[in-house]
Amino acid sequence: MAKKEWKQRLIPKSALFKASMIFETFVQCAYNYERMMGMAVGHTFLPVVKYLYPNDKEKQIDLMTREMEFFNVHVEFGSCILGLAISLEEEKAMGADIPNEFITNIKTSLMGPLAGVGDTIYQGVLIPILLALCIDITQSGNGNIWGSVIYLVVMAVLSYALSYGNFMFGYNAGSEAIMDFLEKGTLNKLLQGASIMGCMVMGGLIVNYVSASCGIVINASGTEFSIQESLFDAVLPNILPLGATMGIFALLQKKWTSIKIILLIVAVGIVGGLFNILA
Amino acid sequence: MTILQAILCGLLYWLAEANLPFISIWTFQRPLVCGWLTGCILGDPVTGAVVGGSINLVYLGFISAGGSMPADMALAGVLGTAYAITGGLDATTALAIAVPLGLLGTIVWYLRMTFDSVFVHMGDKWVAQGKFNRLWLTNLVFPQAFAAVICVIPCTIAAYFGAAYIQDFINLLAGKPLEIFTIIGGLMPALGIAITLQYIFKGEARIFLFLGFMVATCTSLTLIEQGIIGLIVAILYIQVTDKLAPAVATAGNTPSGEYDPDYDPDDDE
Repeated sequence: MAKKEWKQRLIPKSALFKASMIFETFVQCAYNYERMMGMAVGHTFLPVVKYLYPNDKEKQIDLMTREMEFFNVHVEFGSCILGLAISLEEEKAMGADIPNEFITNIKTSLMGPLAGVGDTIYQGVLIPILLALCIDITQSGNGNIWGSVIYLVVMAVLSYALSYGNFMFGYNAGSEAIMDFLEKGTLNKLLQGASIMGCMVMGGLIVNYVSASCGIVINASGTEFSIQESLFDAVLPNILPLGATMGIFALLQKKWTSIKIILLIVAVGIVGGLFNILA
Repeated sequence: MTILQAILCGLLYWLAEANLPFISIWTFQRPLVCGWLTGCILGDPVTGAVVGGSINLVYLGFISAGGSMPADMALAGVLGTAYAITGGLDATTALAIAVPLGLLGTIVWYLRMTFDSVFVHMGDKWVAQGKFNRLWLTNLVFPQAFAAVICVIPCTIAAYFGAAYIQDFINLLAGKPLEIFTIIGGLMPALGIAITLQYIFKGEARIFLFLGFMVATCTSLTLIEQGIIGLIVAILYIQVTDKLAPAVATAGNTPSGEYDPDYDPDDDE
């Protein structure tokens, strides 16, 4: 779909920018179980509503009321839904025959898939890799602050840029383009590449940051035989950290909660420490 | 720790936890960042960044989706780092103390998620009357004032009194208990990594975890260097599999005696 002609539109670009910034900045200020981000969506419409129905308070109230409904999505990936909703409301205000339910339905139907994709890419892949690399930077030498600074700047700039770009994409391109993006193979290829890089980094992270060593010392006829030094370190050092990580991974696959696993680690640490199994 | 420093720690926790601006959930909430800022408040930014980074390992792949919050990494980051600096703890011990605090902190999140519904109803009422500008109050000012109360007060108290007693507490634990703290702290990062693996340890990418493990075991590359190698390997892998995929497809279409009922000569997908 072609880019929309600004001349034919009701909303000036500056109001769209303001709406997008309100969404990205205040979306979770009043996050709650009842409507999740619903009120923030209403708040996002605040700068644009006066351009849609300049002299009709009743229609403004109608619009704001229906945009306050339940809404929840991954913010940076889901901002295209807000752009799309604004563009649909705009077409409606210009006289197009768009039923209210259509706008609500399109919002709710895009919410799920974009939240899924966004949470996986952002919180499951991008943030862990960036964090791992930046944590490693802070520990290099005698320690330094650059890992924290780089992480903060990269995430802040990236999130705002992605959110605004995606918002305008939704406004200009429409719902077919969003569905296209979700179904294309490009996304999967990107995810696969990121997973490969992520696995490489996680492998290194296990070696450098998980520590576990066996404290068992066998006293055989006067000679001490430390299992850690004589067995693990000689055959494959770091096998215990790898084993611990894969064991926890297996428990997570069995739907153990992280709280349960934290308690298990504490229990293992206490028992292992008391009986000198771990050191 | 002075009262002023404790209050600043409380304010930092509010900034990290209450999602204003929203990006704080990706930035200030991470112990790598809020630990560094706690260090700035207490006059030791470098220790703050190092300890915060170590605590962050536990929360590497934690996902907050659909309004859930599995652990409060911001409280763990702020208090864990504050105690480490005032009590002179090493990063691993600080981590073992921080994680239980993170579990406690989720109360703040669930309290906020429940109570904020009140402001939605205020918003509904004012929107129905056409007073749209009041959304600034119901979506921003009121809920954030409430969040400030439930974030700043407990965190300030915990930082101030915790820092005063942490040294005694650690002295009390000297010997075997502290050794156990170190063991627990050493194992905790495995949880953060394992949670991340749930999202990336899939399909053909799996073998690369073991490649990364072996590279790190056998060489002294930094993680950045290893990450760059990982990126190159990922691009190479996709290029090679892309080259192979069409070749297989054409091979299937050549007259090999097999009849393909779905074959369409105009289909160029």
